[in-house]
Amino acid sequence: MGSGMTGILRAAIAGVVCVQLVVQPLGLEALGHKHMAGMTQAPASTQLQGDERILHALNRMSYGPRPGDVEAVRQMGLDKWFELQLHPEKIDNSALEARLAQYPALKLSEERLAEKFPTGPMIRAMYNGLQPLPTDSAERAIYTDVTYFYGESQKHRVPAPKDGDGNGMMPAQDDSEDGPGAREQVQALLALAPTERLQRILDTPPQQLLAMRKQMGVHRQQIVEGMTPEQRETLESLVNPRSVVVNDLLAATLVREIYSETQVQEVMTDFWLNHFNIYIKKNENTPYQLTAYERDVIAPHALGRFEDLLVATAKSTAMMSYLDNWESIGPDSMAARNGGAGRYAQAMAERAKTPEAKAQVQAIVARAPKGLNENYARELMELHTLGVNGGYTQKDVTEVAKVFTGWTIERPMKGGGFLFDERRHEPGTKLVLGKTIAEHGQTEGYEVLHMLATSPQTAKSICRKLAVRFVSDTPPQALVDRMAQSFLDSKGDMREVLRTMWSSPEFWGKDAYRAKVKTPLEYVVSAARAGQVDVKTPLPLVATLERLGMPLYGCMPPTGYYWRASDWVSTSALVTRMNFALALGANAIPGVTTDWAVLLREGSGEAASQQQKEQQLEALILDRPASDKTRAAVMQQAQTMTVAQAASRFQISPDTVPGMDNGGTAGKGQKREQRALQQIRPNAPPTDPQASVMAGLLIGSPDFQRR
Amino acid sequence: MSGIRVTRRAFMRGGAMALVGTSAVPTFLQRAVLAEQTNAAATGRRLVVIFQRGAVDGLSMVVPYKESSYYQMRTSIAIQQQEVLELNGFFGLHPSLAAFKPLYDQGHLAIVHAAGSPSISRSHFDAQDFMESGTPDVKATTDGWLNRALQAEDLAAKRQHTAFRAMALGTQVPRTLQGTLPAIAVSSVADFAVGGKSKAAPGLNDAFEAMYDESSDSLLRGTGDETFEAVKMMKAANPAQYQPQNGAVYPTTAFGQSMKQIAQLLKANLGVEAAFTDIGGWDTHQNQGNTRGQLADRLKEFSDGIGAFWADMGQDAEHITLVTMSEFGRTARQNGTGGTDHGHANAMFVLGGHVKGGKVYGRWPGLAPEQLNEGRDLVVTTDFRAVLGEAAYRTLGARNLEVVFPGGQLQPQRFLNILPVG
Repeated sequence: MGSGMTGILRAAIAGVVCVQLVVQPLGLEALGHKHMAGMTQAPASTQLQGDERILHALNRMSYGPRPGDVEAVRQMGLDKWFELQLHPEKIDNSALEARLAQYPALKLSEERLAEKFPTGPMIRAMYNGLQPLPTDSAERAIYTDVTYFYGESQKHRVPAPKDGDGNGMMPAQDDSEDGPGAREQVQALLALAPTERLQRILDTPPQQLLAMRKQMGVHRQQIVEGMTPEQRETLESLVNPRSVVVNDLLAATLVREIYSETQVQEVMTDFWLNHFNIYIKKNENTPYQLTAYERDVIAPHALGRFEDLLVATAKSTAMMSYLDNWESIGPDSMAARNGGAGRYAQAMAERAKTPEAKAQVQAIVARAPKGLNENYARELMELHTLGVNGGYTQKDVTEVAKVFTGWTIERPMKGGGFLFDERRHEPGTKLVLGKTIAEHGQTEGYEVLHMLATSPQTAKSICRKLAVRFVSDTPPQALVDRMAQSFLDSKGDMREVLRTMWSSPEFWGKDAYRAKVKTPLEYVVSAARAGQVDVKTPLPLVATLERLGMPLYGCMPPTGYYWRASDWVSTSALVTRMNFALALGANAIPGVTTDWAVLLREGSGEAASQQQKEQQLEALILDRPASDKTRAAVMQQAQTMTVAQAASRFQISPDTVPGMDNGGTAGKGQKREQRALQQIRPNAPPTDPQASVMAGLLIGSPDFQRR
Repeated sequence: MSGIRVTRRAFMRGGAMALVGTSAVPTFLQRAVLAEQTNAAATGRRLVVIFQRGAVDGLSMVVPYKESSYYQMRTSIAIQQQEVLELNGFFGLHPSLAAFKPLYDQGHLAIVHAAGSPSISRSHFDAQDFMESGTPDVKATTDGWLNRALQAEDLAAKRQHTAFRAMALGTQVPRTLQGTLPAIAVSSVADFAVGGKSKAAPGLNDAFEAMYDESSDSLLRGTGDETFEAVKMMKAANPAQYQPQNGAVYPTTAFGQSMKQIAQLLKANLGVEAAFTDIGGWDTHQNQGNTRGQLADRLKEFSDGIGAFWADMGQDAEHITLVTMSEFGRTARQNGTGGTDHGHANAMFVLGGHVKGGKVYGRWPGLAPEQLNEGRDLVVTTDFRAVLGEAAYRTLGARNLEVVFPGGQLQPQRFLNILPVG
């Protein structure tokens, strides 16, 4: 077949595509499948064309198109768009930066975070006199207050907070009584300018603050009114310092995914965060470590060299803590001979005077590491590099564990960074995957990481995972092999690997089109993007993800989340998806606003009929015509619904979308989050109730569940 | 015994009809009834699992009051002999567990003491993970033991199961129930509906149902069918009208309400075979208290919730096995702040119509200093998997124990025989 002939054929098929797309797009997909049967090559007839290519690319390599994105990419040219996305540093992202300014704690080093927002154990240590108070006056005030609140909660036998949530110093319940003069004092506060207001609160003795807490809760919104983000977070740290860190981390992750112009960077950041999974509830310090992990370890290497990323994760406090390597001690090391407890604990022991203080030090010493921990070594090979059945033995695991002894955390309670502790390192040569690693301290670890990063087994394992995420639940082996070769040739350059995938016919095959079911994260973020929502507080979206079984940083096993449809399509999740869609459509998610009337006007002017309105919404949300069934159901509902019904609100009540819960699925954490959700102001009613209902139904439809 | 079964089956049929109140029984209800009957023919029983998250102090729940070291090691938090609810001349219940006492005396409640995990981890995170996955010290397990137990339950019979077969009360499907078999999380029975409490909810539900019913997308259509069936079943169960029976009064706490909703869903014949919920607040490092205090309050809530559930289930309790578990026990010695730290072995409760109760199972390892694990806590003499394995085997009929607890090497002949054979 000559090239001219192919061209004509392609044009003809494209024409058929356009016509059929309007009539019955899903039928065409079925047709495409039939054509694929028995073919090994990928001729033009099985390849996506025109706008379908753009939509496909945006659905795979971004968190879904916003209204207007398809047109913008068409203007720019698809390949040019992708190449630019591979260089996020060249993209203007100032709108995102402006939004992220609301979360100033994100910019602090792990050490500063730990100083500014003390964890529960740190406050206990301070209360027990094991740690001196800081010298900075604002911080000193906060520490004095939270330490006092801790002491009070102990005296009054307030039940211990749940695990993984060990501080909550200022009791947040509003069933407390006003102390004498509390109303007047809070009114006086409200009369002050924001900076003076904060200063007055910091200057107020903790006893008095405790007496005012009910009133302060009532006037929470007014108290923070006009404060800078830093001032607001300083104030919030009086109530629960750790939750400032947790909330900023979770909020910023969603804000980036929704608003960033550098979408390939964001999608790849999430890919690696999931690949090198960390569970946020591992311990008290994890959220602090995760802030640095996302910012300094994962994001800078998301489109870089795999080996750099692997080394950065190996040395990160988050990974060392999550997979316990920081506690691993060589059985024949100097530290093992000395009993394990570090100098830090010894120094604390000297300061312990009261029985409480001695008990805390005792507990720390009792938890001191006693030997080799193999967790990191095993997951490094099984999950991070070679893959399950990657050709290593239990003996290799033990040997690799020995190699990484001494890779630990400096002053873990205070947010210190990586430390190689020679005293913990196992002496002697090690034998890893048949290769002798000579005794060389920290360098042994780099040698092993290099060996693993450059292994063909690793290339295959990583590339298969990429293909599952971006192409299909069952990616063709030829594609995986081609990507793996590119991985090896480029020494693990992720840009090259992604370019190989981009230029492969398998990526653009019609059988790949809309073949992936959205994970909860992709569903929620793509819905927010399609509706061009304005997110003032992402807490309800964070809660929705939890409800859908995919909490941010919430995957407990080191495997990370899976990216196959079978892991996410379930009965209870579908009800939650539909309710989320209806609530988002109806502008009923507090702090997450959308206005369909404005989007419709900006799109194509005033709609003349219900039918036109519905079709414009299809274009905005789906970027393609809805299936006949979906359209019929939406229209049927729109026609039979009264205005009053359409306007009735879908409350995102704490019952429908519960908040972040630390630990168990029922109990105190949930109540606290219910309070947090209640504190968010409700949105205005939708300006176009009918469009709201249509939009909600379209977002909840089968058409929007795939990408 | 057979008389009860006949009565029960008759009740179920009547109950299912009564739910809809029309002559035509919809297919989803027929299916539920069918599932019920085949299950009744096989084992007829349901398993309820309660996780006490945060490591409850087993030595305060089931007190070894004859151990002198117990009182030596716990100068201010011990429960005195005259305060315990007498069990068997050696152990006594914490007075806050008063709701358990009659169940024990009637032979419905069994206790397994010194049970726990072979893993030596003292991390809540790891230990809960290992218990829920059912694979101690194996971090890479992705599914939970209860999901595998249902998979192992007579797969050859290919029974019809409803969407409620594996159910957790809460916002998320817990680790214990995660796996290839679909499990459902219900945070509030009343809110399990499309469109929530909106006036437009029925219409919206129908609109979505039409889209998914006729979707050309086979994957989504299948799940859509199940979803709308589940929503209908729940609606037919009419949660708003639910009144606990037999004078049962549930605590108004989250746990109490979870137990109430489990009872409601079990009674509604929705095809629930395994239900899970949890209760936190056990991590008593400071001011644990003794007969009064934070632990005593929590224990009261715990036992009152279970006691109310038992009373509420009435005759249906016959077919239920309820097991409680916690990730590890607490130190034998009290610490410097009137509390206890992370320990090892714990006590588990097993409650049910078929349970051979009124007995404390397991070998007691002793509390003398030389008898303690690492010199600080109760030694594990019964692997928690043996207790859960027996419950799965004899309640759910999960015959392949290697599927349920891989590497656990469980053998029916080595069960504690808390439940009868067959």
